[in-house]
Amino acid sequence: MTMYLIWLRVALVLYGVASLTVIPDVLTGHDRWRKFVHPVCVSAFYFHLVALVEMMRLAHHWVPASLHEVETSFALLLTITFLAIYWRYRAISFGMFVLPVIFLLLLLPAAHPDHAPVSNQWMHNGWILLHIALLLVAYTLLLFSLLASLLYLIQERRLKSKQIGGIFSHLPPLDTIDQIAFRTLVIGLPCMTLGLLAGSLIAQESVGAAYFLDPKVLLSIGMWVLYVLMLYVRRHTGLRGKRAVYLSSLVFLMALTVWVANQFSTVHRFAAP
Amino acid sequence: MNLVLIGVNHKSAPLEVRERLAIPAARLEEATLSLLSVPCVREGMILSTCNRVEFLTYQEPAQADLLEFIRNYFAVDTDVLRPYIYEYRASEVVRHLFRVASSLDSLVIGEPQILGQVKGSYTVARSIGGVNNNLDPLMQRAFTVARKVRNQTSIGVSSVSIASVAVDLARKIFGSLQGKTILLMGAGKMGELAARSLMHQGAGKIYLCNRTDERAAELAEKFSSCPHAAGQSSATASPVAQATPYASLHQVAATADIIVSSTGSEQPIFLRRDAEHYMHRRKQRPMFFIDIAVPRDVDPEINGVEGVFVYNIDDLQAVAISNLSNRAKEALDAEAIVRAEVERYTRRMHSLDGVPSIVALQESLEEVRQNELRRMTSRLSHLTSEELHAVEQMTRSLVHKLQHAPIQAIKRAAQEGDRETLATIQSVFDLEHRAKDAEDAPITEKAKTSAPLPAMAASESIESAFVPTPDATRPASSGTDSAPKSISEKEDCLP
Repeated sequence: MTMYLIWLRVALVLYGVASLTVIPDVLTGHDRWRKFVHPVCVSAFYFHLVALVEMMRLAHHWVPASLHEVETSFALLLTITFLAIYWRYRAISFGMFVLPVIFLLLLLPAAHPDHAPVSNQWMHNGWILLHIALLLVAYTLLLFSLLASLLYLIQERRLKSKQIGGIFSHLPPLDTIDQIAFRTLVIGLPCMTLGLLAGSLIAQESVGAAYFLDPKVLLSIGMWVLYVLMLYVRRHTGLRGKRAVYLSSLVFLMALTVWVANQFSTVHRFAAP
Repeated sequence: MNLVLIGVNHKSAPLEVRERLAIPAARLEEATLSLLSVPCVREGMILSTCNRVEFLTYQEPAQADLLEFIRNYFAVDTDVLRPYIYEYRASEVVRHLFRVASSLDSLVIGEPQILGQVKGSYTVARSIGGVNNNLDPLMQRAFTVARKVRNQTSIGVSSVSIASVAVDLARKIFGSLQGKTILLMGAGKMGELAARSLMHQGAGKIYLCNRTDERAAELAEKFSSCPHAAGQSSATASPVAQATPYASLHQVAATADIIVSSTGSEQPIFLRRDAEHYMHRRKQRPMFFIDIAVPRDVDPEINGVEGVFVYNIDDLQAVAISNLSNRAKEALDAEAIVRAEVERYTRRMHSLDGVPSIVALQESLEEVRQNELRRMTSRLSHLTSEELHAVEQMTRSLVHKLQHAPIQAIKRAAQEGDRETLATIQSVFDLEHRAKDAEDAPITEKAKTSAPLPAMAASESIESAFVPTPDATRPASSGTDSAPKSISEKEDCLP
């Protein structure tokens, strides 16, 4: 068995433990749970990072191209963002949703080595690495923004209905959740823009103008426009609550569609053997 | 344990009785000194708050008449007071004190002020020598138990007063209240209290509006004259309080994050369309209406506007009641902690009660050993220093072994509170007088001397053992020397 599988399995177990212990933390708000969840997450992150580096080193490239590599990288970005939000805002509630997602994302890569490793001339191209890394970061931040909008909606409903106790009584304040939702979007915009630009440069060089007629590429541009529009609306009208959730969900759905469109794209299939 | 506590509290006595016995903070020191002057009261402390007046004492050698003290000091008829007064002794005192410090005996369970009040009384009593070897460990333990209860339960987490519930809700909406703007509408007392609580949390500015501008200006003056924001001094960062004319109410309201309304208006002052207008001007930044007025000042329909939260007096009260019932649930856990701590403390005190006997036994046997060695000096003079050392070791070891069983028996008897067995052991070894001396030593010294042999260090030579140094083996019994003479010399006690 390769070493990275051992590290990844350790990380998986730790994420599993964190996913379970974060629930009483969020529901009861007791500090003793928080003292446990945080170090477990940091340890999981450490093993996860070591496993990813080892995995990529064995694959002889740094571009996450295969399903296992993309899942492992995306899960690591989710962990980093979760920990960053926790350190900045002390908002552990995100863990209740994100940690199980990370756990599920790592299940397959930790089960067995990748049976269909990807290898072609693009794997050593720095622009491709930049393109994929930046877009993964943008998707991660978009996911967190959507999550924050949902938490905002839950907290708003609780306050409006005057049901202060019970489940979710320890969610962060509305204003904090709103800041998280907005700031993740703001940071995500340059990542998405630069990621798409890097992709365009590669496409221009390899396929030429025909690339821009591909459905995936068109959907990507649509997603970017929608993203910018959402940011503009949020900034200038102070959109919050229900409508913010709808808008974030729309952009996230668009992002998923772009991802799925890989299967129908004729030119954006660099990962194919 | 000769602990005695008598007192009255909100459960045992009506306000008319409590106020007769209340002692203002300025007179606490003098009152404690008077308590200490009561015959047989060796140590004493008075806790006087709006809900309780209690006299905690350590009495020795006989029982002191605390009711007589109350009668003399307060000039009240104790026959009238007697039905309202409770009295606790020994472990009951420990339990009561732990419950009081942990806020389990308070009117509002879990309120945090009581611990500060107990600490205040303790500081006063300690400064005048009222708290010493017997009450000090008890008080320290009471503070530790109170902290444990706070840390291990959620007894003090949720708010139970209208003003603090309003602050909690504002925090759930805005997070920090630093720099937030408040509009106080009307001059109701509760509204003012809620606004003050919000200002204490760091709100930056307060507008005051009233149907009569003079009243608003008066209130603004009141708010400006004292610092509210936490950690701010009035000279440097006093929050801005500004009276605003009623005519410009809606203009100001749109800029306020929190509106506290408590007017006597028959009609709602804030309508849904007003709130929609505010939200449009504020770019949907959340607003919080605290409506304390009856009839209501804020149209309940406003709660339907996105980003606006309306809480009226019933809503705030419902949250407070719900929090209170949560506290009651947490109080069960807190009581369990107190129970365990009382048991632990009582056991420790009992086991300390055995220490004087242990010390006396060790002293007695050590004295016998040294006397025997001295007696044999001439016969052992031909021995080399190594051989003398061996004899020394042997006698020491013999004494160790002989005293092991009775020491264990003393410890067991002390832990079980079996005074009869303790007395028998003391009688068998003729320890009564020695134990009495050791009892006078401070508790910390007693604990130290409960270690195996207090006699010579192993490095000491046998020659030194031949020189009689009885005081070297005695525990520090000078603890009472430092006690105030007025206390230690009291003899006029009740039988």
